[in-house]
Amino acid sequence: MLSIKNLQVSVEEKPILKGLNLEVKPGEIHAIMGPNGSGKSTLAHVLSGREGYSVDAGSAHYKGLNLLEMAPEIRAREGMFLAFQYPIEIPGVNNTSFLKKALNEIRKHRGEEELDAIDFLGLIKKQMKLVEMKEELLKRPVNQGFSGGEKKRNEILQMAVLNPMLAILDETDSGLDIDALRIVAGGVNKLRSAENAFVVITHYQRLLDYIVPDFVHVLSDGQIIKSGTKELALELEERGYDWLIEEAESKA
Amino acid sequence: MAHLSNNFSEWVNLQIDNESSFAFSEAVRSPSLSKLAGGVFPTRKDEEWKYTPLGDLLDSSPGRDTAVVFDHEYIESLKQAMPLAHTIVFLNGEYSEEYSDSPTALEDSGLSISPLSQLEGSALKLAEDTILNSTLTDDNIFQHIALGLSQNGLFIEVNKNIECQTPIHVIYISTAHGVTAFTSPVNVIRVSSNSHLKVVEQYASLGEAAVITVPASYIQLDDGAGLNYYKIGVENASTNHICNTSVRVAGSGRFESHQYLLGSNLTRSNLEVSFTGPGAEAILRGVYLGDENQHLDVRTYLDHAYPHCSSDQHFRGILNGHSRGVFNGLVLVREHAQKTDAQQSNKNLLLSRDARVDTKPQLEIFADDVKCAHGATVGELDSDALFYLQSRGIDKKDATLMLTRAFAAEVTQEIDIDSLQTYVQDKVSASLDEIVIPSD
Repeated sequence: MLSIKNLQVSVEEKPILKGLNLEVKPGEIHAIMGPNGSGKSTLAHVLSGREGYSVDAGSAHYKGLNLLEMAPEIRAREGMFLAFQYPIEIPGVNNTSFLKKALNEIRKHRGEEELDAIDFLGLIKKQMKLVEMKEELLKRPVNQGFSGGEKKRNEILQMAVLNPMLAILDETDSGLDIDALRIVAGGVNKLRSAENAFVVITHYQRLLDYIVPDFVHVLSDGQIIKSGTKELALELEERGYDWLIEEAESKA
Repeated sequence: MAHLSNNFSEWVNLQIDNESSFAFSEAVRSPSLSKLAGGVFPTRKDEEWKYTPLGDLLDSSPGRDTAVVFDHEYIESLKQAMPLAHTIVFLNGEYSEEYSDSPTALEDSGLSISPLSQLEGSALKLAEDTILNSTLTDDNIFQHIALGLSQNGLFIEVNKNIECQTPIHVIYISTAHGVTAFTSPVNVIRVSSNSHLKVVEQYASLGEAAVITVPASYIQLDDGAGLNYYKIGVENASTNHICNTSVRVAGSGRFESHQYLLGSNLTRSNLEVSFTGPGAEAILRGVYLGDENQHLDVRTYLDHAYPHCSSDQHFRGILNGHSRGVFNGLVLVREHAQKTDAQQSNKNLLLSRDARVDTKPQLEIFADDVKCAHGATVGELDSDALFYLQSRGIDKKDATLMLTRAFAAEVTQEIDIDSLQTYVQDKVSASLDEIVIPSD
């Protein structure tokens, strides 16, 4: 589903990703862990099409399509989703009408009929239960006046409504208390299927107690220096990142 | 340097000796006519007009087209902004009985409405006293044009202790084919103690020839009275509109103004509010939306002369193409106006590199126990918000429209007449839909 080969990315001429490789197949959950500044968020942004990143070498394909040439909205319509680390507040844009517009753009792209207001409301109310979100938040402007936890739940609600094939969760656990973390993870677990895939970017192992990954990758200085199963995350929790970084450096 | 001679000032001078029927008696007209006889129009060297060129207007020489045909459907479409209102329509400055609701509908309501041309006796005197009491400065030449040359306009009076349920909708439509159409309607609104009223003034124009509209409105609210006053400009690109509004708010009165400047070639709106007693309140809102070569200039002046008054201003500009916006807001807090609360905010969104805005919020405070704040911003759309919408499948053009509409909606959502809010928001959306968003 997602195939990243030797991806090299710089920001303002400073190399951030230095030859990253990653293969994600349908039905899989991949966790990407790593210390601050290792390039985790850059990876999420480049995959979702954010401006300001220069791809210097390598490739990224999604469903066989050259991801790096696609506009952000086309990536979304093709079934990709980024849950933001810092969801943006958008004053004046109603949360419900925003999400309805987004869903209908994606449905149009797939050749499906657009949902009318009533059908959409039915769908969104069902999915709100999944993230235990208060109904009044639907009437508010997007993320405006939401608490940190409410913003993250709103991201998961959007994911549930848009039903992506590939979801990238960028530090969704940051700033969440344990209850919110449980709710957000519960939402992800209910959405996972044999057809879709998740890339969970996180600094801490904590989230992986709730979203159990098939693979864990450690990103350091722009490269994946170790891949393993969920046991690797537990080892990282116990020993930190330094031993791995030293091990990688001694090999190089 | 003044424009000593131009087509428009020559035309104005000819009107001074014209024998046509004018709206006001000599007491009101004479001082204005003597000002006009000098024929001095401001130029951009005058501080007050630094950002606003009058060239297009001064080049025009108005005429009178008696064969003009008005577009019935267009007039009806304008009425749709306020289907439940009592509607008054003026066509090229003349009161239209055909399109206006009959004044008899308001009998015994405590509210009376009359075209100025039909005003006489004590009502005319009340209207003229309201004008003579006003605060507009004596060197405001466009006020003198309105007062000296006005042939019509509207007088609205509410008796004491009346809650007017039906809003008043005044529509001024100019249609110009071949000849420049000039009108200078004067509106006088008097709201007596503890009464409340809503008035919508709408200005529209049609036709390929130039339109010049120079209205003046005089508003007086007595103790505890309230007025919600809406001004909607939806004129075409050959219209130059220069208006002056003078408002006096007595103790515990409340004046709320909403201005939406959504059309014209040039609009300059000058709104002056004076508190004439303690505990009064003024809420001023507005949006100016420009494209191509439009020039939209909003000026406000708030005179806090009494203690315990509050004013709250919030104006937003959206400018595309080569359009230009000007905001100039002055809040004066006089020495005895303790406990004044004055807030002023002006935010501008530039959608193109060639659009421009000049904003000048000003506070002059002579009292020491006050709460005053002002601020102005000029910026582009938030790129983070654009990306957020795009990342959910919404393309850049639609995302730009959504965010721009939202920027305006933060002001337009405060319109408390549902049909009018919908009308204004639809107009904003329609204008934005026509704007070509540059793709990069």
